[in-house]
Amino acid sequence: MLDIQNLTKSYGQFLAVNNLNLHIDKGEIFGFVGPNGAGKTTTMKIVCGLLAASGGSVMVDGVDALNNPDEIKRKVGYVPDFFGVYDNLKVMEYMEFFGSMYGMKKADVDSISEGLLELVNLSDKKDVFVDTLSRGMKQRLCVARALIHNPELLVLDEPNSGLDPRARFEMKEVLKNLGSMGKTIIISSHILPELSEMCTSIGIMERGQLVTSGHVDDVMNSGNGGMKLHIRLADYGSGEDDVSDGKTYDREELQRTLSEQPNVRKVQCTEDEVLVSFGGDETAAAALLKSLILKGYAVSGFYKEKEDLETLFLELTGNHGGDNE
Amino acid sequence: MKDRFQINPILKKEMMVGSRSMKMSWAIMAICGILTAIVVFVLIITNLASSYAGYSYNSLIVLFPVLGCTECGLLSLMIPVITSASISGEREKQTLDIMLTTPLSPMSIVKGKLMSAMMIVMMYMIASVPVMAIAFVLGGLSWWNLIGLFIMLIYLGIYVGSVGIFCSSVVKKSIAATILTIVIGIGILVGTALFFGIGVSIIEAYNLATGNMISDSHYGLMLIFLFNPYSPIFDFMVRAMTNSSIYEMIGVDNSNIIFEFIYRFWIPISMIINLIISYGFLKLAAKHVNVGHKNKTMKRS
Repeated sequence: MLDIQNLTKSYGQFLAVNNLNLHIDKGEIFGFVGPNGAGKTTTMKIVCGLLAASGGSVMVDGVDALNNPDEIKRKVGYVPDFFGVYDNLKVMEYMEFFGSMYGMKKADVDSISEGLLELVNLSDKKDVFVDTLSRGMKQRLCVARALIHNPELLVLDEPNSGLDPRARFEMKEVLKNLGSMGKTIIISSHILPELSEMCTSIGIMERGQLVTSGHVDDVMNSGNGGMKLHIRLADYGSGEDDVSDGKTYDREELQRTLSEQPNVRKVQCTEDEVLVSFGGDETAAAALLKSLILKGYAVSGFYKEKEDLETLFLELTGNHGGDNE
Repeated sequence: MKDRFQINPILKKEMMVGSRSMKMSWAIMAICGILTAIVVFVLIITNLASSYAGYSYNSLIVLFPVLGCTECGLLSLMIPVITSASISGEREKQTLDIMLTTPLSPMSIVKGKLMSAMMIVMMYMIASVPVMAIAFVLGGLSWWNLIGLFIMLIYLGIYVGSVGIFCSSVVKKSIAATILTIVIGIGILVGTALFFGIGVSIIEAYNLATGNMISDSHYGLMLIFLFNPYSPIFDFMVRAMTNSSIYEMIGVDNSNIIFEFIYRFWIPISMIINLIISYGFLKLAAKHVNVGHKNKTMKRS
């Protein structure tokens, strides 16, 4: 559906997007992650025909987006991060206004709008003035507006920005519904756990370049941290002083033992458990557990915590601050 | 599915939104109030002046230039306010991006904005017809003069509106665009006069120094006023009141066919020139709306 090759966008000396390559299949919900200034919005605007690229190519459903901006506008629906409202315009009139911009007849716009407003749970707000809607409702209306011409690709720039948890949940449901309808969607967001929940694939951008991209699970497993193991021991004790009574373990000894095991990257003893950054797979984790038991440790708990998108994002983007665009 | 005969969506939306706002009603009331006050003032003055000799209705012809100039002045101030927010306002509300993702071309957006401004201007004009009619009914002017004046006002509206939309596209803030439009308007008005004045002074100085007279020099220099959007209105008023044109009044040499032709058809020639300039402003505005988004917008992502 979307194929970006060597996309570059520069503002003078500054490279906002640097040789970006990205492929998104039809029906995918692609999450765009990156710090402020990474180049996400710039990329999205180029895809929508709002910005000219400095180099490279963008193909949307087989159409060259850079050379056919008018054709692309019929294939792409865009939802910006800020919803600008028109005073004195009702919800249905708002839809009609944008429908007429696509050259659609009023009767067609009306029937399509009915369905779209139902999809975004705003069918009871048809005759309400847009500026009186809550922010969450406005964002959902904006999604409905972007779908008025039945685009192949929907581009949403931080649709959940500034929304309360309830509105975020409702927006997520709307997007999930769209995904189940087979729409190809690109979403950028800073609320990473939500992205990992609803996206089928993600891409992490930093300083204009795509650090990693692919299926959500593949990207998660590609992180440096792998998995985090939580190990609980019987008679773990609460501190070093407990060692003297012989019932608890010497934590330094425990830490050393664990560090010597294969695939163990980092060991951290907390108040009530041991946290291990583990680079191995499931079998290697099982081997670690077996080795601990053989060494006489009374393991009362052993579970893995899958790395979340937030941790991965921080790892991949390092300490580079945002706002450099 | 496609509607080929639809009204410009921007015009339709602006009219719908505008009609729901009280601003338009207040502005119409203000314009009619100002015009009525002028008419009453002129009636009182003419009545006082003619108290001994009997009232002369012909003296009310003075209402024509007074009301005409007042309306020109009001439109020249009002249209920049209406149009200067047309593009910058969309930018401020962050709705321009959404508009530009639709197939509607930047030129259609700009045209829609101008047409909606012109619709408002026409509403003001229609509302002021009863007041304006006093000058024509009592002052002895024909209805064709009234229609002619309205055509002039629409032409002026297109010109000032185009400048306003252009300024709105190049300046980010609406208030700055309003000021810039008025400054450009005054600049054109004063600039042409200044150019003419400087030109005449130089030629006079040359004539004095050399003792030679350059024939037709003043008439040639006066052609700069073709670029002044107010000059055809001025000529129209002179023709309506005196039944003679500027060309006859200043006595252009009939032997120069070109000058004679230009001065005889000053109104249509100047209007065509200024409407072409207006179109240029609109093209530039459309280009800037597009270019502004394609190359200059840089948002933090």
